[in-house]
Amino acid sequence: MTYFDRALVAIALAGALSGLAGTFILLRRRVLLVQALTHATFPGAVVAVLLGLSVQLGALSASVLILVLLILIGRARPAILQAATGVLLTAGFAVGILLQAMNPEVPLRLDAYLFGSVLASTSTDIVVLGTVLGGTVLVLIVFGRRLEFYLFDHVGYQVSGMRPWRAELVLLAMTVATVVATMPALGALLTISLIAAPAAAAKELTSTLRGMVVIAPVLAVCAGIVGLLLSRWWGLAAGASVAVVACLIYVGAALSARIRARA
Amino acid sequence: MGPIELLGESFRFPFIQHALAVVVPLALVSGLVGVFINLRGLEFVSDGLTHAVFPGLAAGYVIAGNPGLLPGALVAALVATVFLTYLARAGLSSDTATAITLSGMFGLGVLIVSGTGGITTSIETLLFGHLFTVSIAEAGLAALACGLAALLLVVSYRAQVFTAFDGEGAQGAGYRSMTTNITLNLAIALVVVSASIAVGNLLVLALLIVPGAAARLIARRFSTMVLLSVAIAVVASVVGILVAVVLSFSVDVPIPGGATVALMFVAVYLVTLTLRVRK
Repeated sequence: MTYFDRALVAIALAGALSGLAGTFILLRRRVLLVQALTHATFPGAVVAVLLGLSVQLGALSASVLILVLLILIGRARPAILQAATGVLLTAGFAVGILLQAMNPEVPLRLDAYLFGSVLASTSTDIVVLGTVLGGTVLVLIVFGRRLEFYLFDHVGYQVSGMRPWRAELVLLAMTVATVVATMPALGALLTISLIAAPAAAAKELTSTLRGMVVIAPVLAVCAGIVGLLLSRWWGLAAGASVAVVACLIYVGAALSARIRARA
Repeated sequence: MGPIELLGESFRFPFIQHALAVVVPLALVSGLVGVFINLRGLEFVSDGLTHAVFPGLAAGYVIAGNPGLLPGALVAALVATVFLTYLARAGLSSDTATAITLSGMFGLGVLIVSGTGGITTSIETLLFGHLFTVSIAEAGLAALACGLAALLLVVSYRAQVFTAFDGEGAQGAGYRSMTTNITLNLAIALVVVSASIAVGNLLVLALLIVPGAAARLIARRFSTMVLLSVAIAVVASVVGILVAVVLSFSVDVPIPGGATVALMFVAVYLVTLTLRVRK
């Protein structure tokens, strides 16, 4: 496999995963949380590299830590959650930059961390993406109906005796795993595009969860592959082309929904 | 030389004087903007704007170098504001609309940079700032951006305060919400230009949201909140610079001032939060 084939496989897997998880993230209104996770995992990655561990492991631990912090803040003072998330997000970045400046020997490439390095995808990246995607599909096959119930009817779910925290835990685990697996390809700044834009586009095109779960991954895979091919054609940054194509797909979906509504 | 004497001496270094000249006006304006961001719950929208301004900065720089930064950022902020308003009217929840706008426009910025090639280093300085190597021209540009932002806020002050407390009432009284929002977003964009030079595009958010959020936790009146917010911003910026200086000399590596300034803002927020929770 050439490096470009590997990149195509990685971005297709990342697209399928982001589209699937993005649907649930969007419906649960957790887009801001994803933004915080992608930004604030930076110090975790730097510390992991300092300790000689894998970047993903550092990002994963940092994600879990941030998640716990935000859940605690959200419970104690829901009114300040948005401000606190914003502060935490910049704090993560600032700590990461400071740690990196104080340890100039750390071999962490900043641009790769920020914008991803999909063209340098390794077989490990592909295995991680494939595993998380497989796990997500499995979880959705087993718990899909219950998650749907939880998302669309909070109260009914609780009244019928099921425990909301279990559904929350499944959704949060899916979110963290998706962010950590996708970040090597698209980086801290562009991962959000593949999670939010295709899911939002799917929401414009269909009104059922079943429809979104199919359309969003398809659109995200298209965005990934078209973005990569265009970037090779025109010699542009790969991750950024994927992000821009994903957002253009949303714009196209929104416009076509408007036109159909008028007709 | 001990740390205390070092602090006293440090104000004589020209690079620290330049850094202060950039940061103090920036803090004054971001303290003021921060009040409106907090009262209206625009934290994530501000995050979106800081990213969305990036292609404007990149395109402006490619076309005209440093003087192109300001007009480029303003055009990008206008486009982003119109786009966000359109998405909100289309019924998309505001966090999703912001996420799509910010990642799409940020990606566009990176594409502009990668398409022109060769200016990567200047883009890295825009992302992370270069507080201790600002030239006099850049300090002037930053001050100009801050001045314009302050002007926009002063001119629209009544509309901004009215909208922050009672959006519908303000519309009923004849203030147009689109005009008010565009004015506020342009002011935020101007702060982002100045802050991109100082602390970098990725850390601007701390300056924009912490002063207002921290002041809101303490103050009970609007006027106190404004004063506190501005004071917090100025103190945190100056202390942040001094921390970077002391740290640089003690560990003997150049510490980026932007990171310590941003962390000082975060520290202020944490302190006010603990004070508030204890009460």
